[in-house]
Amino acid sequence: MKQSDIRNFSIIAHIDHGKSTLADRLIETTGALTKREMAPQVLDSMDLERERGITIKAQAVRLDYEREGQHYELNLIDTPGHVDFTYEVSRALQACEGALLVIDAAQGVEAQTLANLYLAMEHDLTVIPVINKIDLPNADPERVREELFEIGLDGSEAILVSAKQGIGIEEALDAVVARIAAPQGQAEGPLRALIFDSRFDTYKGVLVYIRVVDGALRVGDRVRFMANGAEFDVTEIGMFRPHPVAVPELATGEVGFFAAAIKTVQDTRVGDTVTLASHPAAESLPGYRPAQSMVFSGLYPVDSNEYGRLREALEKLQLNDAALTFEPETSAALGFGFRAGFLGLLHLDVIQERLEREYNISLITTAPNVVYQVRLVSGEEIRVDNPALLPVAGDIAEIREPVVSASIITPSDYIGAVMELAQERRGVYKDLSYIDSQRAMLSYQLPLGEIMYDFFDQLKSRTRGYASFDYQWSGYVVSDLVRLDILINGEVVDAFSVIVHRDKAYHRGRMLVEKLRDLIPRQLFEVPLQASIGGRVISRETVRAMRKDVLAKCYGGDISRKRKLLEKQKEGKKRMKSVGNVEIPQEAFMAILRVEDK
Amino acid sequence: MTDPNLGQWGLYVHIPFCQARCTYCDFNTVTGMDDRDHALYMKALEREWQRVSDTPAGELVSVFFGGGTPSLVEPAQIGGLLEAVYGRGVRLAGDLEVTMEANPGTVSMERLAAYRQAGVNRLSLGVQAWQEHHLARLNRIHTAEDAVDAVRSARRAGFANVSLDLIYGLPRQTLDEWRETLDEALALEPDHLSVYQLQVEEGTPLATQIKRGQLALPVPDLTADMADFGQERLAQAGFERYEISNYARPGRWSRHNRLYWTMNPYLALGAGAHGYWHSRRWWNVRGVRRYIEASLAGEPVEAGEERLTRPEEMREYLWLGLRERQGLSRSRFFSRFGVNPEGYFGPSFRKLHQQALIERAGDRIRLSARGLDVANYVFREFVGDSTGA
Repeated sequence: MKQSDIRNFSIIAHIDHGKSTLADRLIETTGALTKREMAPQVLDSMDLERERGITIKAQAVRLDYEREGQHYELNLIDTPGHVDFTYEVSRALQACEGALLVIDAAQGVEAQTLANLYLAMEHDLTVIPVINKIDLPNADPERVREELFEIGLDGSEAILVSAKQGIGIEEALDAVVARIAAPQGQAEGPLRALIFDSRFDTYKGVLVYIRVVDGALRVGDRVRFMANGAEFDVTEIGMFRPHPVAVPELATGEVGFFAAAIKTVQDTRVGDTVTLASHPAAESLPGYRPAQSMVFSGLYPVDSNEYGRLREALEKLQLNDAALTFEPETSAALGFGFRAGFLGLLHLDVIQERLEREYNISLITTAPNVVYQVRLVSGEEIRVDNPALLPVAGDIAEIREPVVSASIITPSDYIGAVMELAQERRGVYKDLSYIDSQRAMLSYQLPLGEIMYDFFDQLKSRTRGYASFDYQWSGYVVSDLVRLDILINGEVVDAFSVIVHRDKAYHRGRMLVEKLRDLIPRQLFEVPLQASIGGRVISRETVRAMRKDVLAKCYGGDISRKRKLLEKQKEGKKRMKSVGNVEIPQEAFMAILRVEDK
Repeated sequence: MTDPNLGQWGLYVHIPFCQARCTYCDFNTVTGMDDRDHALYMKALEREWQRVSDTPAGELVSVFFGGGTPSLVEPAQIGGLLEAVYGRGVRLAGDLEVTMEANPGTVSMERLAAYRQAGVNRLSLGVQAWQEHHLARLNRIHTAEDAVDAVRSARRAGFANVSLDLIYGLPRQTLDEWRETLDEALALEPDHLSVYQLQVEEGTPLATQIKRGQLALPVPDLTADMADFGQERLAQAGFERYEISNYARPGRWSRHNRLYWTMNPYLALGAGAHGYWHSRRWWNVRGVRRYIEASLAGEPVEAGEERLTRPEEMREYLWLGLRERQGLSRSRFFSRFGVNPEGYFGPSFRKLHQQALIERAGDRIRLSARGLDVANYVFREFVGDSTGA
């Protein structure tokens, strides 16, 4: 295919504005798949993704399109639709020349719409606005056109689409061909290919998804990853339609994948540049940055015999997930486990669920936390990714916590409610501007630790679901933080320790022991629960002793049934963690998350 | 050492018929059957007995007619079955116990006398509660007055051994009501009392009522108060708590139920009945019609079985034996299994001793007073796969 007949594009959208449905329709219309082959939302290839309706791993599909007798090769590069994966989105966008920006005809512009638009602009992409769901009874495309104007796009150029009903699909494809530029790379230059994703295949090793920027890649080439210098021989090249199809080469501007017997995705970092070992490029493509974990959590097997299995499972997941990190860790309460790092809370959720579901390991996950930077009195700088390891107050000169700059778009009626929420979460007000007469955008600096858990849910519930939210990391700030410890039966349970702002510590401690009192079942003996800061107890509750635990009757016909009942109870107990002599259920360790901050 | 119980066995006969089903009941029962069905069923029981291949050696110490409501079956039919059982040269214990469960709403003095005549010598009456609103809510077919009449009639009919069943922890039950139930029951001067905490069994109407929020069980502390009160009250009245839920005047322990707790063998006849013999436990088909058809056609009525391995049998022996207040005999355990229980289950016993949940009394290991309260905790040590060598 001639370089001038190639178009590389993405679809970007606020969540639920219909990105995946539009992608499905494009694939169907261009005949890449027949209708019969289409499972809804074919690009989300992991079951988990489909169930949760979120795209986690980007994928690319080549579409053949004919317009006025001319054949075009359209490469649709899918992007993850969650803020945890901003970096991956940006790499996928870097592989494109243009993007379809999908906006819900009823909802209008939302926070992620803006964030995605800015991201696309950063990469100099041609943005084609697509107003989707025009079939909805409450669709108001004209209002959306005006909103587009407000955010700096030409609303009159927007394409009206109903992906669900197949309206406007041809127009969208035409616009891709007509408005988006063909790739501009140096066909003769040394190979430079951008890695925008990778995944592990049991038979072929890592499949590296690339966009060839300069030069060409052929089977048999020896390639070099510019970030770490690792070299491999390419055994297979292919592209997706959306099923993988082998091709002999990927030319300048093309999108596809290659395999080279690579054993782990750790070698194939998203954003890295692939070049030829025999004829390397002088400079790598811009923008690479190693994946950075923002959220950490302790992962412990409920059954300590499963430690080895947990390690194997994490290693396997890591083959396919360069952003997942883990290190062995020991907890006095929970025994041997791992401190694992994630891009965000959703990433953590996905990993936790896969461990439990695919690997069948019963897990205790400690409350996730951010990474703190601590300057000690001695002058030494340390980073703390486990609250239990925070040095004693006397040794600390300064603690810093990560913050994000957040934009919240809300109907004007809820500005007060949003500001109240931001304030409760220790937000620092930055700016307020109006998108139109009814909607405003608030900007805040918020501690990452404060938005990790239920900020989004709270935002939704306090604005009747109308507000939308997006954020970007913006560095570290000094904060008055303390470690809150929980003592069960007189002993500090390290897995319960959290780092909180001093002003919130007292309240948090009280809520936490109250919650634990309800979650920890009665034991044979009375169990005191205490919250303490720096060794000073600030709150106390008691789990009273179990009074009766008896099967009323057991006669001839009952014996096997009653035995099974006892066995079942015993299995239930096994899923609890015995700390000291106290049996603590799994969910108690996550209780810290669900303590309402009011 | 010779096991004094060796060679003693019992027979359980299941009579599934009921006039109405109690809301909490998950036993194998059936309503709406008539006299003809009863007659067919009794015939089917006899046929099942005839197919028991060999007359068991050893001494038959107990026959138990459980239900359902055995008192719905004619006294002559009960007598007929007993004759059939004894007729095969079975060696009968001198003090053979023949128990029949009865619903107070189904028995007259004459009828009770006829059962006594037919050979029944122990009567177990389901009284459950004294307050009409509780009885009605549980769908019991009798009143408290019926219970008084039944006990008096039983005495006049010649029953020297009468047991009453009571339940506490009923939805909306108060401690005062429970006190009244106990006092009224004691005033009838029974020989034996079974005192059960209400268990909500899956699939029963009661479970549905609770799930839907129409009824609620008392809070655990109130139920525990009722349990404690019952224990004290019955002790004061001269009843010995010889098993977790069973109380008796001296010499009136239920022989039959003791066979279960000491893992002695028992045969079983009837729909859904469970037998246990030589490490094998089996159970019959539950459907009453299916049972009748199969048995009368001379076909097997057994629906399933489990064979206990030696360690499984040891574990069961422990937790069943610990249900009895006197606990289990270490020497008897040794003579049956060839190992010392406290050695074989060392870690479990050490832990339970440390927690003061079990205690030694001469040859016996038994639950402590606290152990009786949390018996399930102790029993869980001896189920599943994680105990023993």
